[in-house]
Amino acid sequence: MNLFMRWTGILVVIFIAAPLVIVVPMSFSSANSLQFPPPGYWLGYYRAYFTNPDWLIPTWNSILIATATTILTMILVVPATFALVRHKFRGKSFADLMMLMPLAVPHIVMAVGYYSYLGDLGLVHSHLGVILAHTCLSVPIAFLVLSANLKGFDRNLERAAQSLGASPTKTFMHITLPILRPGLIISALFAFVQSFDETVVAIFISGRDAATLPRKMFDSIRQEADPVIAVISTLLFFLVLIGIAAPYFVSALRSRAPKPSRPAGAH
Amino acid sequence: MSYLQLSDITKTYGHFTALDNVSLSVDKGEFVTFLGPSGSGKTTTLMIIAGFEKASAGTVEVGGQSISQLAPHERNIGIVFQNYALFPHKTAVENVYFPLQMRGVSRTQGLRQAEDMLSLVGLKGFGHRHPKELSGGQQQRVALARALVFEPSLLLLDEPLGALDKNLREQMQIEIKRIQRSLGVTTIFVTHDQSEAMSMSDRIVVFEKGRIEQAAAPLDIYHRPQTSFVAAFIGESNLIPATISSAAGKTAENPALGAFDYAGADNALSDGQKVTLLIRPEHIKLSRNPIEGRRNVRMTVETIVNYGDNALVIGRAGEVTMRVRVLGADVVIIKEGEECCISWMPESVFVITK
Repeated sequence: MNLFMRWTGILVVIFIAAPLVIVVPMSFSSANSLQFPPPGYWLGYYRAYFTNPDWLIPTWNSILIATATTILTMILVVPATFALVRHKFRGKSFADLMMLMPLAVPHIVMAVGYYSYLGDLGLVHSHLGVILAHTCLSVPIAFLVLSANLKGFDRNLERAAQSLGASPTKTFMHITLPILRPGLIISALFAFVQSFDETVVAIFISGRDAATLPRKMFDSIRQEADPVIAVISTLLFFLVLIGIAAPYFVSALRSRAPKPSRPAGAH
Repeated sequence: MSYLQLSDITKTYGHFTALDNVSLSVDKGEFVTFLGPSGSGKTTTLMIIAGFEKASAGTVEVGGQSISQLAPHERNIGIVFQNYALFPHKTAVENVYFPLQMRGVSRTQGLRQAEDMLSLVGLKGFGHRHPKELSGGQQQRVALARALVFEPSLLLLDEPLGALDKNLREQMQIEIKRIQRSLGVTTIFVTHDQSEAMSMSDRIVVFEKGRIEQAAAPLDIYHRPQTSFVAAFIGESNLIPATISSAAGKTAENPALGAFDYAGADNALSDGQKVTLLIRPEHIKLSRNPIEGRRNVRMTVETIVNYGDNALVIGRAGEVTMRVRVLGADVVIIKEGEECCISWMPESVFVITK
């Protein structure tokens, strides 16, 4: 039984990791289409990615749209979360529901809705249109992350700060914000990734001018199966890997740094 | 001249009255404990003094000036919360520096002052640690240092010892008392632990159902409770319903136990008045045979709870359940189910009119 469990575990890991094992070598492939195993290896497709405006423009579009989406999302979500978590008001549960609605509705349905709605506003095929649509999709995710953080926040900390002479503004700046910072960062990160990753809505409304990277990859795989896709996948994978590993590196470096000496008998 | 003055404080939530006309004066440097069961209004009163709750009516004055209209951060009141509420992203010394920082004290000078305060609470050398690297008792001391470093006009302690284990709690009781005395800061201490209240306070204020039942020195609260609630809440008690048979002769009558002599009462009594008689279990003597010169009653022992150094003997005398506290060494003379004699002096009988 134990052996069976172990092998099941190993198989699941292999199954999950398999695409990476295939994609990473393919990015170095010399074949002119996606092919595995690669017939030979070179860096040509990396050069192609970093020099071809057909790829670079969607990359910049994606970064721009995801950044703007993140900023807009946080501007909306931070006050909304404080209101919904900390205050009681009429229609609160309805507001709660509406915040999370985009999460429940399939993206394709949302996409069709945005297509006609933004079309009327003349925002289809524009950066702003995609940013607005992505913000709608990012808000519930950022809200979920941040509200979980805020619910766990001990309000006595704010009371203590106030009793110690901090005005409500100072309390927010010195106590609430720093303590919530990890939650805010994660919430913003989720908003960013959601936008950067989003394909369905982008296909509907981004058009040629505001085409995002996932949309361009989708177009490419349908038309020519350009191995540059493998390059992008590999780059994204390593970016994420660095993102995940960075905190461990930082804390490892910190713990190596000399500590201030502690006086004897401190325990 | 009172320093802290609460006048006719009332707090209502909808139809619920949390505080009903609470008035109290506290002298400068006094250590006052708010004692009462949960929901009795003691914490609400504290929150109104601190400014986190707004009273529906009534005023709070400190040093002759009303602070009712001031925001919490303008009140200059130090508070220690039950969960300490230390800022997790700041070290101990930065926590203590925070109130000074808010008052515009420079970082170098403020940190030095904070270190001095940490030494006073016995945490010299712990300043660089974050709260999660400190034990419960140490966190408690940091919270205390933080609430005292800016020389507050009042120190409020909201059940600060509730989260500590028994030994540490006793140690902290002594520590808090020592620090409070050395700084002479006027202190309000909220607790539902009566032994804590007894051992620490200059004065105890007993709360019940949003009212002050009694405010008096610990021993007065214990020996001269003004209401049966206070008598029952503080310490163990035998409360015997009785009728005053002769106010002049200082006797009262219980139908089952007969006549009681009492030594005195705080209120004027009249013949025929319904009262409650209080006899503390440790003032009752247990013996095989009646003792001369004392009021003797026969009792059938029902339960003996032995604590080692002492024991609680519960039995029935007539229709009344009586509790007797005896020394551990004396409990051997009696067994459950046996009949014995209990006796007391008239000085041990206190008359409660409410």
